[in-house]
Amino acid sequence: MLFFRSEEHVDGWCKLNGVPKRPLVSLGQLWQLAVTWYGNRLTTESRRPGPDEMVKIFSEIGLKGPFWDPKSDQWASSA
Amino acid sequence: MDFDTSVKLNIYEMIARTTRMPASIDVALGIGSSMADVEQAFQRLYEKRLLVLEPGAPSRIRMAPPFSGIETQHRVTIEEKVYFANCAWDAFGIAAALKRDADIESTCGDCDEPLAFKIRDEKPLPQDYVVHFAVPAAQWWQDIIYT
Repeated sequence: MLFFRSEEHVDGWCKLNGVPKRPLVSLGQLWQLAVTWYGNRLTTESRRPGPDEMVKIFSEIGLKGPFWDPKSDQWASSA
Repeated sequence: MDFDTSVKLNIYEMIARTTRMPASIDVALGIGSSMADVEQAFQRLYEKRLLVLEPGAPSRIRMAPPFSGIETQHRVTIEEKVYFANCAWDAFGIAAALKRDADIESTCGDCDEPLAFKIRDEKPLPQDYVVHFAVPAAQWWQDIIYT
């Protein structure tokens, strides 16, 4: 999960490394993920979200589809 | 509070205060336990995907997300303390976990030029930069260090 100056730089990195281009995430979306995942990490209540919770969290900020589903088997052959 | 939660909170309290990732001996001294018991807790916390241990070194923590146990390209400064994050998400995650304004220095994954971010009043200042997630969620823990 890397920062890039622009989408063109993502394209350059994917081409150079021979990897498929995957979803782009805005800084606003990233901040929402950071708060949801880590906002209570220093408390007794903190825990990692379960798979269904993860799908819900991603979906609520517009990150939808099998790429964001930890239970998806679509990627098994590309591991 | 159960033992594993005590261990986890001690880890996070120490890294937040000192910026340094504690080893099992530090946690054992911190909570008045044995290194062996703490290292068993480390393993259980790893199995819950809350810690990543250094390969072959059960006393050492590589990641207590969002914090990194080693220096990385993602440097987060909060109130003159410098922390290192595991990835872009975790760079923002440190500011979110500590609930403080933060200055984040990182680099473009493509051209390696410096990129700077500021978290102010619980949100990032606007920038046109983007984040690329190269690995699907179903594969994040197949190689979490790469992810």
